[in-house]
Order: sequence, then C-alpha cells, then structure tokens
Amino acid sequence: MAGRQDVFDAIVMADERFRGEGYQEGYKEGSCLGRIEGRQHGALHGARIGSEIGCYQGFAFAWKHLLHSDASERDSRKMKVLESLIGMIQKFPYDDPAYDRLHEDLDRIRGKFKQLCSLLNVQPDFKLSTEGSGLSF
Amino acid sequence: MKDSLVLVSRVPAHPDSRCWFLAWNPAGTLLASCGGDRRIRIWGTEGDSWICKSVISEGHQRTVRKVAWSPCGNYLASASFDATTCIWKKTQDDFECVTTLEGHENEVKSVAWAPSGNLLATCSRDKSVWVWEVDEEDEYECVSVLNSHTQDVKHVVWHPSQELLASASYDDTVKLYREEEDDWVCCATLEGHESTVWSLAFDPSGQRLASCSDDRTVRIWRQYLPGNEQGVACSGSDPSWKCICTLSGFHSRTIYDVAWCQLTGALATACGDDAIRVFEEDPSSDPQQPTFSLAAHSRQAHSQDVNCVAWNPKEPGLLASCSDDGEVAFWKYQRPEGL
Repeated sequence: MAGRQDVFDAIVMADERFRGEGYQEGYKEGSCLGRIEGRQHGALHGARIGSEIGCYQGFAFAWKHLLHSDASERDSRKMKVLESLIGMIQKFPYDDPAYDRLHEDLDRIRGKFKQLCSLLNVQPDFKLSTEGSGLSF
Repeated sequence: MKDSLVLVSRVPAHPDSRCWFLAWNPAGTLLASCGGDRRIRIWGTEGDSWICKSVISEGHQRTVRKVAWSPCGNYLASASFDATTCIWKKTQDDFECVTTLEGHENEVKSVAWAPSGNLLATCSRDKSVWVWEVDEEDEYECVSVLNSHTQDVKHVVWHPSQELLASASYDDTVKLYREEEDDWVCCATLEGHESTVWSLAFDPSGQRLASCSDDRTVRIWRQYLPGNEQGVACSGSDPSWKCICTLSGFHSRTIYDVAWCQLTGALATACGDDAIRVFEEDPSSDPQQPTFSLAAHSRQAHSQDVNCVAWNPKEPGLLASCSDDGEVAFWKYQRPEGL
C-alpha cells in the first residue's frame, strides 16, 4: 500500500519538483554569471574613478613643481589647497571598494580639485579617451 | 485680516519677462530687482512713487536669478543662469563690474553675503555650494567647493550673526555648513520636506530657520546647542536642528520664497498660487513648539506665480514682492488686532 502512494507522489508532484530543481539550477547559474558581470562592471567603474583621481594627482604634482619655484607662492592659499588635495588623494583607500565613505571622500576630492582650478585660473575640462571609448568625467 | 496687507504701488519692473528676485539695500532706501530679461534694476522713491533709478543691462548673457547687497551697501552681487556671478560696485549714479566669479558648471541659482562682508556664497544646478573670500582690494578667492547636496541647489543664506551657511535643494533637504580647520564642512542636514526646498530665512535672533517647499509647507527649525536643557541629542560639539513647527494647509501650490522680518518677526511667503501670505507667531505659544497664525492673505497679489517677498530692513511693515508677470509690488502690512 505504502509503495503505491510513493509512485503517485512521484507523478503528481513531478511538476513542482522539476520547477524547484530548475529554479535551483537557474539560481546557481545566474549567480555565477552575475558575479562575472559584476566583476566587469566593477572593473570599469573602478578604472574610471582611478583615472579621474590619477588625473587630479598628476595635475597637482605638476602645479606643485611649477609653484615651488616661485617664492611668493610658498604660503599662498594655492599651495595649501594643493598640499591638501595631494594629501586627500594619497590617503584614499584604493584597495577597499567597500569603504563606507567612498563617495563622500570622492566628492571632497572633486571639490578640492575644483577649488584649486579656481585659484589657479584654469578651466577643468579634461577628457580622457582609451581605446576609442571616451572616458569623460 | 482684510486690510492688514494693502497694496501701495505696482511697477512693471521687467516687462515681457519674469521678475525673479528682489533685494533691499541695508539702508532700506533702494530695492534691486532682477529678471529673465538679463537686467538688474534699482528702484527708489521719488516723493510717493517708486521709480527706476538705474539699470544694469550689460553683464549677464542669461537670466539673472538672484541679487544680493553686501552688508556695507556698496556692492551688489548678481547670480545668473550663464553660470557666472558678477560683483558690482555702486558709484555715484551707476554700478561698475568689479569682478566676475566663474567656476560653476551651469546655472548659478543664488548668491549671499555673510554678515561680516568678507565671505560670499553661491550655489548652482551643478549641485555644489561655493564659498568665496574677499579681501580689502576686492580680490575674490574660492575658499571651498562643497558637494554635499545630491541635486540642484536652489538657495543659500547666511546666519545673521554667526559664520554659518544654509543651503536648500531639489534633493528635499536643507544643509548647514561651517568652517573647520581652514575648510568648510557640512555640519547638519535637515530632512523632513517631501519635495524641493526653494528658500530659507533665519529669524532675527538666528536661533530658528524657516524653509519653504514644493510640498506646500513652511517648516520652522530650531537650533539646539550641546548640553541644551530640552535634552535634544547633539553629536560632538555640533548643534542639532529640529523641526519645531510645520505650517501646512495654507498654501495651494509650491511656496517659492519665505521672508522673516528682522524688525517685527512676521513671516511672509510667496506662492505659486499668485498669493502672498503673512504669518505671525502666537505670543502665548511654547517657544519649543510655536504656533503661527495667518495674519494676512492677498489672494491675487500678482497675476502669476509670486517668486519673491522681501521685508524692508528699516521700515516695519513695508514688503516688496515680484512675480512671473514681470511686476514688482510694494505693500504695507499691519499686524491685525487681536492676533
């Protein structure tokens, strides 16, 4: 008697069972593909941020050398802001994407850069192109 | 309530255009207006009428959105959609451009002078607030670029006595900033409005801040210092701000401007329903939970949206307003009896 119930169970519950198994398989596959896509997205996004900050850093170092040679600039606001920007960039945790103040710090760096450009009387209008795709910020 | 707000005069300040903003000079003798026609006009009295004393027509390529007088009354700053802020020096009969502040990426929405006269703040659709310092030689330098808001910043205003800056934004918040070790930081974010915050006004003491919004309410916020007796929590040495009153149900459209009279404490609002309203604080209400009553309501103050209301700083009850209809109106307000 018990054996016969199992057989019917197998038939009647087949649909639900297959659906359940299908879901599990799909979920696993989706997670895998999602991880790959996420990685690509993260790499692209990270590269954008990296190149933006790298640009600010290069700009700051170049101007630091230019201003250093002028004695009158030594104590100016320009120099203070320059040093502050360099400091912020150096302190930024590049290897921690889960850093909780990532966007806040990025915004502070951007603000400092804008202020520096204003003091130097330079228009911040940088465009970067890599392999044809324009990376502009 | 009927006669508490009476029209004194109306002038076609910016014909075929919008009049966006008004600013009284500190002496209360001149009113600057600016508009979509890219011009700034200065109004003064001649006998009983208001006449245009000068026009600044060169200077901006697009709409002038706000104007602000320096505390000494000798300079006028103008914020424009052309992404620049011009500083004008008042000479005998005219205004000459002293400098043009650039840096914002797009439309500058507001400009304000700090009470010391040494600092200037601007804000823009580029979501940033800039603080500028001016020295004795009229040299302006950018002191800070603040990226705290997440959307268009509509208005900036300074505290009447402290070096504290407030900003209002399309992101539904009000933010406060102060100087900390050579840089400016956001020290408070006031949340509560359910839509764009269009304007701000401090009360005469600077202890309270009024904000008005697209959500059709005016909110009153109060500053609580660390160790306050009401037990309001503060983080570190920064004061806390709490919403102590919400005026809702009075306005049927967006409230574009709010002005707190520094002489009498009356609160005026400019609304998208073409009306001007004046509120008075109930004298018996608890200072921690004040209540305000509608003291005056001019339903058809203008034929279109009212963009700005401004109390004269020297003459109590003298209120100026301007509208999308291009006109500037002058009103005499009298606190109704029994209020």
